[in-house]
Amino acid sequence: MRRRSFFQVAGATVAASTLVLAGCKDTEVVQPTTTNVLNLGSNDAGVLNYAYLLEQLEAAFYQKVLDTPPADMPKEELALFTELRDHEVIHREYLKELLGANAIPTVEFDFTSLTLTTRAGVLAAARTFEDLGVAAYNGAGKLFTSKAFLVAAGKIASVEARHAAFIHDLAQAPAFTGVVETSGRYTGMATALTPLQVIEAAVKFFPFTVITSGLPTA
Amino acid sequence: MNILKLLADLVAVDPDSYERLSGRRGALTSLGQTGRRAVAAAVPLAFGAVLTKAYGRKSSTILDAFTLALTLEYLESDFYSRALSSSLAFPGTTKAVIEQIAKHEQDHVAFLQATLRASGVEVPAKPTFDFTGSKNGTRTPLFPTVFQDFGTFLKVAQLLEDTGVRAYKGQVDALITDNDLLDAALRIHAVEARHAAHIRGMRRALGANVRPWISTKDESITTAGVTDAVYAGEEAARQLLPDLVNYFPKATSLVVTGTREQATISLGEAFDEPMTAPTATSIAGLFLV
Repeated sequence: MRRRSFFQVAGATVAASTLVLAGCKDTEVVQPTTTNVLNLGSNDAGVLNYAYLLEQLEAAFYQKVLDTPPADMPKEELALFTELRDHEVIHREYLKELLGANAIPTVEFDFTSLTLTTRAGVLAAARTFEDLGVAAYNGAGKLFTSKAFLVAAGKIASVEARHAAFIHDLAQAPAFTGVVETSGRYTGMATALTPLQVIEAAVKFFPFTVITSGLPTA
Repeated sequence: MNILKLLADLVAVDPDSYERLSGRRGALTSLGQTGRRAVAAAVPLAFGAVLTKAYGRKSSTILDAFTLALTLEYLESDFYSRALSSSLAFPGTTKAVIEQIAKHEQDHVAFLQATLRASGVEVPAKPTFDFTGSKNGTRTPLFPTVFQDFGTFLKVAQLLEDTGVRAYKGQVDALITDNDLLDAALRIHAVEARHAAHIRGMRRALGANVRPWISTKDESITTAGVTDAVYAGEEAARQLLPDLVNYFPKATSLVVTGTREQATISLGEAFDEPMTAPTATSIAGLFLV
């Protein structure tokens, strides 16, 4: 295993201080500490890991909602949430397949800041995740150098935009407010965020530090 | 002959020069067939050979991609503006949303026109459309009540928006050499997808069996051999991996729990598939006079 992939695979559960063990074999046991670090890596694999992290987040969120659904959420909405969950699981597994040995590990998230006991709370959270996901894909496309990965991400991105629009409808939120630019050169285009902006916006869901510094910026 | 303009075009196709010329944001970095011919006709032979070498790089160019995009945005923009100025009755609060969508399409037209203009390309004029699909009464209309019946209007809107999403997706790989224009195209693409989902939501509210995403569970609104190209290939339940040999998921893997039938449906829904330029052009052609 190369040095880089050792860091990536080890990232989620290994403390920064254990990085001095860089020369170790991947079979050696390293002790997790409270300072967990997840390095997304660099180049196209880094961008895919970034998308993979967000798909893990979305899939985990919908699964949590389906595990203990709010009492006031109608059955037909839960059925559609099951379809949403399945899409996110498929996206997650597809990205994992594309990443192969470069994939970050499966991680767990901290949803304690959310109110998931009411339909309104669930929809507000879903709107946050979906709008953030769409803005992330919008900003990430240009970071790829591989056409195959760009097209792969594009196939997912518009489905995320459909999810987001659906959640806006369910929440009876304005269809385009805050997600489509209304002035400047990008008027009429979707908002886009950089990886750093997205990770900052989602930081409360990560019980670890996400390292984005290796990602391409243009 | 404008030597400075030609030199500017020349360095624009040289990525290294382009990096140094950040002021050229918004200009096309490589010209398509039309631009190439226009330039070649205007210059002495030796210089022309240099230009041909510089421009003659690939078949699907950024200019081609943006020209296709402009055609589709003209189509959508004209569709909504004519609906809004027709006698069509918009139930509830739907008119306000359609007005917002119409404004987005106008914005997209303006951006694409400005980008083409900044590149010294003649901007194609808006064609004349017939949204009944009758080609001005010369054949049986496909959607005779498109601006009289709200349900029919929404069906055509859904077909146009879903086509837009797939068509932009089909062009992104041609734009990978120009981050600025790729960025813009992806961000327009995401807006089209939101439009498509909202239009689908409006249809669902009227009782149609349709989801926000493209699903084989949706009731069909296409006609074989005419409009079915809008969704052809969308149902793909597996994705070819970059090795061009293997697929996701592997034949034995369902990825999601549930029945094989439901997993196949979900795998098709989870990805929007690109559409080729000829297919998108032929769908737009249904509404050309």
